[in-house]
Amino acid sequence: MTLQTTGSNGNDHKSSVPAEIDYDDPRTTRFEKVKAAARQDGVEIVHYEPQFPERGSKTEKRMTRTVSLMFLLVGLFGTAFVVLYIAWPWRWEQGNVLMKWYTPLLGITLGLTALFIGFAILTWGKKLLPREVSIQERHDGGSPEGDRRAVGQTLAYMVEELGVKRRPLLGLAAAAGLAPVAVVFAAPIVGGLIKNPHADNQMFTTGWAPIKEANGGTRLIRLTREDGTPIRPGDVSAGGQMTVFPGIPGGASNAHADSPTLLIHLRPDDGAVARANNVKGTGHNKFSTADFMYGDFIAYSKICTHAGCPASLYEQQTNRLLCPCHQSQFLITDNAKPVFGPASRSLPQLPLAVDDEGYFVAKSDYQATVGPDFWERP
Amino acid sequence: MTSPHRSGGLLARMRRRRAVPRSKARRRIASATRLLAALVLAGGLYTAFAPAISAQDAPLSPAAMEGKALFDTSCISCHGMNAQGIEGRGPSLIGVGGASVDFQVSTGRMPLGSQGAQAVEKPPVFNEEQTRQLAQYVQELGGGPQIPEGDNLHSGGDVAAGGQIFRLNCSSCHAFGGGGGALSSGKFAPRISNTDDRVIWGAMLSGPQNMPVFGDNQLTPDQKRDVIAYIQETLKDRDPGGFNLGRLGPTTEGLAVFVVGITALIFTALWIAGKS
Amino acid sequence: MKRRKIDVRTLPAKAGNEVEDRLGVATPLRGIINKVFPDHWSFLLGEIALFSFIVLLLTGTFLTLFFEPSMKEVTYDGSYAPLRGVHMSAAYASSLDLSFDVRGGLIMRQMHHWAALVFMGAIVVHMLRIFFTGAFRKPREVNWIIGSLLFWIGFLAGFTGYSLPDDGLSGTGLRIASAIMLSIPLIGTWLTSSIFNGEFPGEIIISRFFIAHVLLIPALLVALISVHLALVFKQKHTQWPGPGRTNNNVVGERFFPRYTIKQAGFFMAVAGVIALLAGAMQINPIWLFGPYEAGVVSAASQPDWYVMFLDGSTRLMPAWQINIGIGNGYVIPPIFWPTVVLPGFLTMLPMLYPFIEARLNRDNKIHNLLQRPRDVPQRTALGMMAVAFFLVLVLSGGNDVIADKFNISLNAMTWAGRIGLLLLPPIAYYVTYRICLGLQQHDREVLAHGVETGIIRRAPDGRFYEVHQPLGHDHEELEYAGWVVPKKMNRLGALGPALKGFFRPIERPAEAPVSPGHPPIEPAPERREIESKH
Repeated sequence: MTLQTTGSNGNDHKSSVPAEIDYDDPRTTRFEKVKAAARQDGVEIVHYEPQFPERGSKTEKRMTRTVSLMFLLVGLFGTAFVVLYIAWPWRWEQGNVLMKWYTPLLGITLGLTALFIGFAILTWGKKLLPREVSIQERHDGGSPEGDRRAVGQTLAYMVEELGVKRRPLLGLAAAAGLAPVAVVFAAPIVGGLIKNPHADNQMFTTGWAPIKEANGGTRLIRLTREDGTPIRPGDVSAGGQMTVFPGIPGGASNAHADSPTLLIHLRPDDGAVARANNVKGTGHNKFSTADFMYGDFIAYSKICTHAGCPASLYEQQTNRLLCPCHQSQFLITDNAKPVFGPASRSLPQLPLAVDDEGYFVAKSDYQATVGPDFWERP
Repeated sequence: MTSPHRSGGLLARMRRRRAVPRSKARRRIASATRLLAALVLAGGLYTAFAPAISAQDAPLSPAAMEGKALFDTSCISCHGMNAQGIEGRGPSLIGVGGASVDFQVSTGRMPLGSQGAQAVEKPPVFNEEQTRQLAQYVQELGGGPQIPEGDNLHSGGDVAAGGQIFRLNCSSCHAFGGGGGALSSGKFAPRISNTDDRVIWGAMLSGPQNMPVFGDNQLTPDQKRDVIAYIQETLKDRDPGGFNLGRLGPTTEGLAVFVVGITALIFTALWIAGKS
Repeated sequence: MKRRKIDVRTLPAKAGNEVEDRLGVATPLRGIINKVFPDHWSFLLGEIALFSFIVLLLTGTFLTLFFEPSMKEVTYDGSYAPLRGVHMSAAYASSLDLSFDVRGGLIMRQMHHWAALVFMGAIVVHMLRIFFTGAFRKPREVNWIIGSLLFWIGFLAGFTGYSLPDDGLSGTGLRIASAIMLSIPLIGTWLTSSIFNGEFPGEIIISRFFIAHVLLIPALLVALISVHLALVFKQKHTQWPGPGRTNNNVVGERFFPRYTIKQAGFFMAVAGVIALLAGAMQINPIWLFGPYEAGVVSAASQPDWYVMFLDGSTRLMPAWQINIGIGNGYVIPPIFWPTVVLPGFLTMLPMLYPFIEARLNRDNKIHNLLQRPRDVPQRTALGMMAVAFFLVLVLSGGNDVIADKFNISLNAMTWAGRIGLLLLPPIAYYVTYRICLGLQQHDREVLAHGVETGIIRRAPDGRFYEVHQPLGHDHEELEYAGWVVPKKMNRLGALGPALKGFFRPIERPAEAPVSPGHPPIEPAPERREIESKH
């Protein structure tokens, strides 16, 4: 095998010594010219074999028909796609089965169109074009020594010319002066984004914080349903639970994403256990939870202390509360302490009372920090 | 505690929030249902305080007599004489109401087949008639909530309102598509997207096993109707985007992309690079 | 006026010359069309990622025409009746409109999402191929690093895209993301409030994610993919060892025409498979999740599969909280380790691996020939260890679904995951290592003694022995060449063909030792009697 490579400089794209090819020589075939041209790039076509030794053979014809059929199917499915796209009922309608087929039919026709284009091209290339094996030389190891030296010398020369070594002050001054420039570029980008997380003490307050009124008194926040209606103790049956929101404007909206709370009506014997454990406390809290329950009603933050998902899978017999995101389990009758899974902190408990009109209110905001943990939580 | 008057006031408030006024007949039915609910509640409270009296004194209707006969052959071993319950074997059924019996028996959960993390659905042992008789018996023993008459309890329900209730209260356990989900230690919330109206209603009303109770004061009968409408009309509807992969979210989607997508493409690659 | 005659036959040449006069493309083009690419199915895995990325760009552009990246509250009034009258963000409403009120919008949404899953899947499969064959070795470390970065940037692209519709599931994911950021010591709260512009969820996160998802991240992806491909071009593709293949050449097909045709066809096939997936299987039915509300969640809330390993690691993490009793007290919550430290580790370790391996092997040579996984048992075993680790985490990410569908206790699944995460990787290492050694040994045996023929002979003294067909001449022991050793008689052309064909057998002799791109050795014309030479 003789390879007409482009010399030892390793640059195979810009041939310095092109082989002489007479492109107008009628004695050589076009393929021989192509072969010669490939040699200029260090490529030797060592094997080039038509798929069908005899032209127009039975198998060749069959293969041609197959590819043609695929192209015809492309047309068929493509047309079907367009027709379906225009004519098939597509607007969503409850119970309308025909309409539910719109997207699947589009996907299937579009998919088959693309697949048949793909396989037609692939079969054409794979089954009809000649098989070939070419060998190309690699030229690893980077640029030739001469080029390396040239670049190295030039760079070194430039450094010398700048003369930082001879003029140290220049270097120092440049370093000192340019250092803040990095910050100059970063400041407007980063600075505009920075926002104090402790403005308004937002990490430690929720929508349940009592509102200070103009006359100096405080108004306790009612527990409300999603639509803002307040809740009486009779509204939740024993063994029932209800998601409640602070009764303030937008209390159920995402503006108060740390406020959703689960109000649970325990069965009497479970209530007694929960009360006793409330009196005992978790051992971590610096405040007493002794009077946080109202009767057999108990309320915990719905926002998991692990990752902030709503821990809302309440099992009314085992009194476990499961979070569906990472399977932390909290025991409602024991200060909602985590009993399984990755959560490490009890759910904060909301102190409950009933106001003059008989509606549930929160006696105060949560005493413990609501939501996922963070560094500066005391 | 709740009095009929108060609950009426609350319900009236809830009604006002509806944008579309209901028809007169619907309103009449609704108020009748409310009255019934209030009476049932009052009765339930009464019996809760005085179960023994009612269990012994009230004469049983013929259907309840039939129910008692069934109870005494199939249920008494766990739930005890007069459904008072047996410590460590089965709870008392006084005050659970017909809703609970209807739910447990018609879905085959009771009589209990085998001990497990929780009772599972299986072909019911009793037919509809017998189930009704059992429910009647337990109802007359100690009162409690009851499922309204009829098989279709969702017609006229508002699917949009039902959807919101469903997502807030139901989807956390039964999943967004109603396919059910796992609870702690082997317990689970069952699939509800192929369940009958009465069963769903009974489950909400009675809070079977670990499911919380959604009494009529929390979810009014109208709201229950909405939820069931959402489940029956929207969740049972065919999915618009093709096969729904069990509506299990990204888990099955991820499985499908490897089992179907990547596998198909790797086979294509094998074919492309294979010898012709 | 005399009309000049146009000779149609010379038209292409003329046009070509006109272009050439102006741009001078012939010289570089000659280099490109003459470039030789080796041919092996496993070299096409990266293309799956590339082509699905193109589908992503096309479908994604369509989606931006309709999507409104705003958290402004609106009341939905579109075609989807079960949500009519519900308050939601404009982002969610416009995603619903895309699904129900734009003709063909749902198929585009589904194609976009499926293409994203295929993109990430192909990246992982491609990376596994690179790793197990040692293609990351010098001089290709930079491309390996770019590839690992592409995974993580694709991960970010996926997560930001998953968050955009602002549905119940994506909002839950976003909330977890905020909890992860919050958990970082010292800067957690500042980082979170800077990204969300205040408390979670704020009112701007969708717009910020939108611009990241449609501009910043795709730009980065396009840039890195371009460099990735340019480096493959510059450094030339690796190849398997085999007859005629050396460290200093590439044996295969020229770029043009067959290679290009195959690439074009494969692109259409990838697009077709994605469209079929999108038509056949529903993905991310946002209309069932409802709008995001902080108090609403669904059972089986999971991220997309390529994030699921982090969800799994979070689920398996024990509740180890570190309290620091200085001042008011500080906390490092347990979520910090599996979601910040672990990914950090998983980002750095693969990027450093080529250098670690080269250093341990004192290997500074240039490698253009791939290695069969069995020939480098330590690396293969390490790779399988990583795969086992990853699989346990992914499965744990869906452990609630597995628990529910297979009636297993959820708590048992968590414990199985915890134990499995510690036990399975070492087991995978050991088993893989032994399998590699076994395969190596078998290769050497065949080279030394020949192929098993299945013929049992009895020697005159009563012994039984099996006849082997030696591969070399005169019992000389052949040296292992790092490539497939024929182990069956029909591979030598000395026996009838193995049955081939998917639906019906194709009666054709199997080809001799296949090495990709190499001319097939003519099968022996007739079956020869096997000489018993043992």
